[in-house]
Amino acid sequence: MDSSLSSYQPLLDFLLRSLSTLETTFFKIPGSAVVARYVKSSHQNDPGRTLLELILLIFAIGTLLQSRTRADRDGKHFIKFSEKEIDELVDEWIPEPLAETLDAKEQADLAAVPVIAGPQGPRPKLLNGKTVLNFASYNFTGLAGNEDIKTRAIETLRKYGLGSCGPPGFYGTVDVHMDLERDLADFLGTEAAILYAQGFSTISSVIPAFSKRGDIIVADRGINFAIQKGIQISRSTVRWFDHNDLKSLEDVLEGLEKERKKRKLPLTRRFIITEGIFEKDGAMVDLPKLIELKYKFKYRLILDESISFGTVGRTGRGLTELYNVPASQIDMLVGSISNGLASCGGFCAGTTVVVNHQRINGTSFVFSASMPALLSVSASEGINILRNAPSILTTLQDNIRTFRSILEKLDCISIPSHPASPIIHICVRPSSLQVPQLSITSSGSGKPSNPASVQPRDPPQFDIDGEERLLQEVVDEVLAQGVLVTRAKSLRGQEMIEARPSIRLAISSAFTKKECEKSGNVIKVALVKVLGKRR
Amino acid sequence: MALNPPSPTPSMFKKKSSSNLSTAASYLSAVRAADARARAHGGTPTATPALSLSSSVTTSSEDTVLAEESDHEDNILYYPPIPPTSEQVFTTVHSEFGHCANSDYRYTSQHPQGVPVTPWLEQDPPYYILFTTYVSYIILICIGHIRDFFHKHFKPSTFQHLIPLQGYAPLNSDFDSFYTRRLKTRLDDCFSYPVTGVAGRTIVLLDRISHDFNVTFEPTGKRVRALNISSYNYLGFAQARGGCADAVEEGIKRYGVSACGTRLEGGSLDLHATAEGLVAKFVGMEDSLISSMGFATNSTIIPALVGKGCLVISDELNHASIRFGVRLSGANVRMFKHNDMADLESLLREVISQGQPKTHRPWKKILIIVEGLYSMEGTLVNLPRIMELKKKYKFYLFIDEAHSIGALGPHGRGVTDYFNIPPRSVDILMGTFTKSFGAAGGYIAGSKTLVDRLRLRGHTGAYAEAMTPPVLVQVIASMASIMGVSPSLPASFSPSSSSSSASTLRLTDSDGYEHPGPAPASSLPAWLDLPPALRDGSEGHDRLRRLAFNSRYLSRGLEKLGFITYGHVDSPIVPLLLFNPGKMPLFSRMMRSMETPIVVVVVAYPATPLVTSRVRFCVSAAHTKADIDLVLKACDEIGDVLDLKHRPGDRWPLEKIMANAIELVRMNE
Repeated sequence: MDSSLSSYQPLLDFLLRSLSTLETTFFKIPGSAVVARYVKSSHQNDPGRTLLELILLIFAIGTLLQSRTRADRDGKHFIKFSEKEIDELVDEWIPEPLAETLDAKEQADLAAVPVIAGPQGPRPKLLNGKTVLNFASYNFTGLAGNEDIKTRAIETLRKYGLGSCGPPGFYGTVDVHMDLERDLADFLGTEAAILYAQGFSTISSVIPAFSKRGDIIVADRGINFAIQKGIQISRSTVRWFDHNDLKSLEDVLEGLEKERKKRKLPLTRRFIITEGIFEKDGAMVDLPKLIELKYKFKYRLILDESISFGTVGRTGRGLTELYNVPASQIDMLVGSISNGLASCGGFCAGTTVVVNHQRINGTSFVFSASMPALLSVSASEGINILRNAPSILTTLQDNIRTFRSILEKLDCISIPSHPASPIIHICVRPSSLQVPQLSITSSGSGKPSNPASVQPRDPPQFDIDGEERLLQEVVDEVLAQGVLVTRAKSLRGQEMIEARPSIRLAISSAFTKKECEKSGNVIKVALVKVLGKRR
Repeated sequence: MALNPPSPTPSMFKKKSSSNLSTAASYLSAVRAADARARAHGGTPTATPALSLSSSVTTSSEDTVLAEESDHEDNILYYPPIPPTSEQVFTTVHSEFGHCANSDYRYTSQHPQGVPVTPWLEQDPPYYILFTTYVSYIILICIGHIRDFFHKHFKPSTFQHLIPLQGYAPLNSDFDSFYTRRLKTRLDDCFSYPVTGVAGRTIVLLDRISHDFNVTFEPTGKRVRALNISSYNYLGFAQARGGCADAVEEGIKRYGVSACGTRLEGGSLDLHATAEGLVAKFVGMEDSLISSMGFATNSTIIPALVGKGCLVISDELNHASIRFGVRLSGANVRMFKHNDMADLESLLREVISQGQPKTHRPWKKILIIVEGLYSMEGTLVNLPRIMELKKKYKFYLFIDEAHSIGALGPHGRGVTDYFNIPPRSVDILMGTFTKSFGAAGGYIAGSKTLVDRLRLRGHTGAYAEAMTPPVLVQVIASMASIMGVSPSLPASFSPSSSSSSASTLRLTDSDGYEHPGPAPASSLPAWLDLPPALRDGSEGHDRLRRLAFNSRYLSRGLEKLGFITYGHVDSPIVPLLLFNPGKMPLFSRMMRSMETPIVVVVVAYPATPLVTSRVRFCVSAAHTKADIDLVLKACDEIGDVLDLKHRPGDRWPLEKIMANAIELVRMNE
């Protein structure tokens, strides 16, 4: 026994020695005495606590070291396979094809897309050589093909080349961009503005730049696709109000405020998001009322003026000019310079703080090359023209009125668009059988829709395929008469709420009254012919 | 703010050109003298005086250079240090696209056949550099918090937009914006520098000054022309003069500026179809789709490719636009380590065997998204290995060639061309026109079925404005000049046969187009009139070879000087590692205040990992060897001052590098 003990002696010595060196080095570390005293006293008071803290420490280290991307490897859903089994599974797996071939309807859709040969404008030539009156393309102010703009564009080309070859942060901020930003801010009457290279990508970048997880967005149910995508990216909490129904908005805002007070939720950023003139149906929002609500409930307003900027108001400044509301009351005014100004790109106007924030956080601003200089100069020139020639906007409104006066008489269609909207959507009026049904359901249940769901309580019923087919027939018929119109194209299955199929007319100030009358009548005749057949 | 020029010694190029070139007249006499020298050296005796360059470009270059900026005759940014001889006809403006006639300064960008792709190894700096980097960040963060504390309590007016005010939550909380306010603001004078003119070989900076520590900037009204090694102008097509710009002018006259509307709703022009056909030929796919913004190409098309029940496997360093698109698609995402093929394979084995999370159903599709050339690292995707994996694991492959298209490969057709892999074995090729083509926007190329599906299902078709005619013409003209146009091609020269392209790459279209070959004239607009050098593809070919030379020269040169660089030697993107955050603004300011100012891009966290702050050079075909020399010289000087040379191994002095540039470039790995 003695001998066995003595044989362990060197090991014991070594252990003791290393323990003492460990202790001395530990105490050499500044602050270690405090830790030691803490551990000692806590162990004295409650030995169980030491164990608990030790476990906590191990857990904390474990969590820190855990790889985030492979977190589910140890999860309960992970099944362990042998290499051979994995090989078999890999062999067995057959992926779906990357893209299904187009069916007959889709092929027909694609084939029916009008292609313009040569310059764009009010009277372009199609690929088949036929000259048509163009009520499909966005050329509201008739700036397409404007000679002044062309001249300025060529001058710019000769000075700046075409591409900017870099994002704004890395030598892609050209002086003409800054000029256009200033022009836009001056034109609208805001502190500042920021340019994006594509109109469509503007708002889907603006929303997530401000609204983050946990923030609240109250949005219209009829918003366009770009806004839907922006909201999706932002991961914010969304509440919906009925399309263009500010009473419904007020109810939703009140509900939210009550909920916040009741549950003592912290103050988060809150936004109302809607459109000036809705891309999907041409309805117009009541801006003064909207502003009133925004101030009442202390929300910020993100207003998409992609259609209304450059098309309504005395000089085309948009809804703010039409309703005589200072643009500075809209926190983020988003617009497109591809529609009203016939260039390419988008902008967001607001205070300096709002704009500068986007210069760092606006994803598609930061990570994308800035727009070509000549497009920027064209847009500046466009603003100039609008400022100096208010007659453009009066002509545009006259043309809209001419059109509507012809179409409104028809009882086979309905027009959801606002009388001042430069886009006129024409929907098939539900046949007489459906009408009473609808009116009963919508008026009968007076209950409001659930704000947490994007679907309204009583969604209108319509036959998408059937109506699209009829409307396409109208489009073809009208084209045969030399007038180019288009169905409003919509990504079926990808929109949150399916829009009712419609024909979308884009009116331009470049048409004469006579041309408008002629085209209006052509469309009217075609509508009566096609839709009348159905009855 | 800016430092004084640290080097009192004048640049060597200055010396060369300073032989009393003070007036335009003396420049011309120097041209004649150089001509005589060239003749004495046994050049062609038929040389005529250099000034009889009969092309119209001389007059235009006189317009832009002599008339506007006549007080810069001795500036090497405007005039080459060695005046051209009469045999050398330059059709470009030197400040946009440098004159470089030495045919030795050329190289072919191509992966050597049969050589396995060596995985790229990250170079680690000495430990003290890492240590000081971390310490710098700790100090910066501490000081930032101290400043925040004082501002919050003693200067609340500066903090108003960061705290709840009158019932509104702040747009940006003080915590979220801490990095921007306290760290980035310190180097804000290196970002978003306003410029004017062409972003070509040189660029004109609009000088600015800040009186409040970079919170606001004021223009001083001064203009500074600087050597531009920052723009994504790989093939030098950012030009206000020359064949492409002429074509764009003609395009504007014919088509105007706008396409007015979306592709599906009356915004489609015949030019769109032409450009899409040409892009498809260029990249070697059946069909292509064009979108008016590069970022939007990814963010709006990826959701049309994958959806719920699909898996996207994405490289961890993929661009923000890809992440944006993937997030919109609703597909599951997994990441693999940057360019790590072993990691990718083990991930593939895991995800295919496990199936969808929880349900274990097999994935509908697996899409791997990689970039051809990574914009912050300069690394090339290991495509040969991915193709092997693709055969085994049956995933779909999406390559984002935003930076590599035009910039890589013997024919400029991107990574597939570089590695000699048939393009149609990749499912989707995406790229942008912003970079190599000097335009804007992007494309997606793939099979006809796929592209037609994307035309209908992609967000751009129905909702986003179509690409404008001037941009389309620039795309068509620049692309055609890289490819060459087939009927006007002289028999003596054919870019497709000049380099060894294996039979695997060949494929022939129905209209007789052979990839990678010249564009059939029938596929271009009839009115498009390109000058002969562009039409026969010789200039495009020359640009590709100049870019390949410049890229290799800069990256090898920096290596030999002892800098730690990242990326592939053939990559036109050359990141030089700085590590310490404090060195970033210094490097940028010192480069800008050199005798010949140079503009550079510095990047730091969050675009890169925290410790690896870097400066990123983007080489262009527009640069001459002298320009790269200038950059190397400037880096050499600054590198000594800032202690940046930490690469172990063989180092060469600057003079040796400049003298042996050709050997350096042609050296194998």
